[in-house]
Amino acid sequence: MKPLSPSRRRAIGLIVLLCLAAIWQLLSMIYPAEAQPGEPMIAGWQVIFTKTLLSLSDYWQGGLGVRSVAEGASRGYAAACLTLIVNSAITLARVLGGLAIGTLLGMIGGLAVSWSSWGRRIVNLPMQFLRTLPLLAMVPLFQLWFGTNLFGQIAFTAYGVSVIVFAGTVNAVANIPAIFIDNARSLGASQSQIYRSVILPGILPGMRSTILLALGTAWSAVLGAEYLGAQSGLGYIIVYAQQFAYLDRMFLVALVILVFAAVFYTLFDRATRKLLAWAPQTSRREIAR
Amino acid sequence: MSLTTMPVRDGGARRVTRALRFDPMAWLGILLLLLVWELAACLLPPAILPAPLGVVRRLCSEFLSAPDLSYFGLANASLLGSMTYTAENVLLAMIVGAAFAIPLGLVTARQELIRAVIDPVMMTVGTVPILILAPFLLIWFGVGRASAVLLVTFYVIVVVYVAAQRAAENIAPVFEDYAATLGASPRAVLRDILIPATIPEILGGLRIALAGAWGLEAVSELLGAQQGIGKIIEVLAGATDAQGIMAALLLLGLVATVCDGCAAWAIHRLTRWKSSTPVAGA
Repeated sequence: MKPLSPSRRRAIGLIVLLCLAAIWQLLSMIYPAEAQPGEPMIAGWQVIFTKTLLSLSDYWQGGLGVRSVAEGASRGYAAACLTLIVNSAITLARVLGGLAIGTLLGMIGGLAVSWSSWGRRIVNLPMQFLRTLPLLAMVPLFQLWFGTNLFGQIAFTAYGVSVIVFAGTVNAVANIPAIFIDNARSLGASQSQIYRSVILPGILPGMRSTILLALGTAWSAVLGAEYLGAQSGLGYIIVYAQQFAYLDRMFLVALVILVFAAVFYTLFDRATRKLLAWAPQTSRREIAR
Repeated sequence: MSLTTMPVRDGGARRVTRALRFDPMAWLGILLLLLVWELAACLLPPAILPAPLGVVRRLCSEFLSAPDLSYFGLANASLLGSMTYTAENVLLAMIVGAAFAIPLGLVTARQELIRAVIDPVMMTVGTVPILILAPFLLIWFGVGRASAVLLVTFYVIVVVYVAAQRAAENIAPVFEDYAATLGASPRAVLRDILIPATIPEILGGLRIALAGAWGLEAVSELLGAQQGIGKIIEVLAGATDAQGIMAALLLLGLVATVCDGCAAWAIHRLTRWKSSTPVAGA
């Protein structure tokens, strides 16, 4: 069978996503059941971008010259958009903060442990155990330790990310072909020189897939933390709306998160693919795995 | 994502054997972890970080029956019973997810058009944390078993779909071409080449899915369920009982580790025949 051209494939992908949106609209028409009066189980697009968007202004706390609904203002698009922007910013801060801190700590730890094969052997089993500990089930524990504030959520996200990055770094260092290190050593390189000029660049292709994985984990961790106890953020709006069965609001906010996650993923993917153009084909294949 | 830290050049099969064999240094590592925990527990108040021994004691004493927990109105108060409920859900989701994902992944690796249709959906679902579905499932399907199982099933489908697709792509075309030259029908190619050759990678994908499934199942129970280990964690979190939470987490982590170990062993046994060096032209 003839392979499809990339542009063709992209076009089909777009059509499929549009079809899904159309199916959603169709479902909303043939299944008009309501979770409660005035709140459809499946909200059509015309509802989502008008009434639902407006209803998000209920979550606006006031400020910036836009009065909140609680202060007696009627629902307005300004408050609704501000709600979305502010809560997105909070959620993104949690994701990025956790990602940055976690990646940094995980990489430093992983590189430190990889300094000698002893360190690697000692750390192997505890690392496996920490990795199998289900991260999302640990939300209550972190809330107990750090509270339900911004710091607590960033700490939780950073923990989840650092465990993955740590394991990924140790793995990437171990996967550097021994011949690279042997060559450098026979040319008289010291251990720290090997670290700088062989190991650090050598782990980059391996780190790419690790960080892509950590990106997904960071989103899950932030969502988990926001579902269970945070007082702001997109995930909080979803769970708060869930308690009143406002399915349309949940859907709108979920769409926003979906867009953010997809943009993050694509940006990182594009940026690193260019940066790693030098990596030999075989190791790029290893990355894909 | 390889779970061993052994160098790649050792080849697949030997790598697994080495990883399965226990390294005495590994025990030293566990000992160090416990020591750090114990030291930290001495410095921090027990309400924040309970000592490891206390957590293990708590786990043992509440394993079969937990009268404390029954005050919270749990139908199934013991840790064992809750863990069984959670494990059943994970197992069910794994089976249902694999049943959908494996055929789908194999078909899309060979049929460009179907792939062009399904890939965007899977990519969209794959980049988004599956957790976003949880509140929706809870409303649509209630707080029973169904919503938790469905959530985990979606996750398993995404992971295994990618694994199966990649496995079928990674087979050197030479195998299928050769079989076809010798007169094998498409069905025979499927039965004798495509399916056996993709088994190792698919099993690897299933193992990754299993590892992630526990956390999703637990968080789904945390968000709303009547029983399960996540429910236990939820009620204990309400009572700020750090020791109890850690005991439940420890049990969950141990079960997940043991299951992962069993999966690794089973995969190693089942795919012994796999050649460790890639075939040229792959």
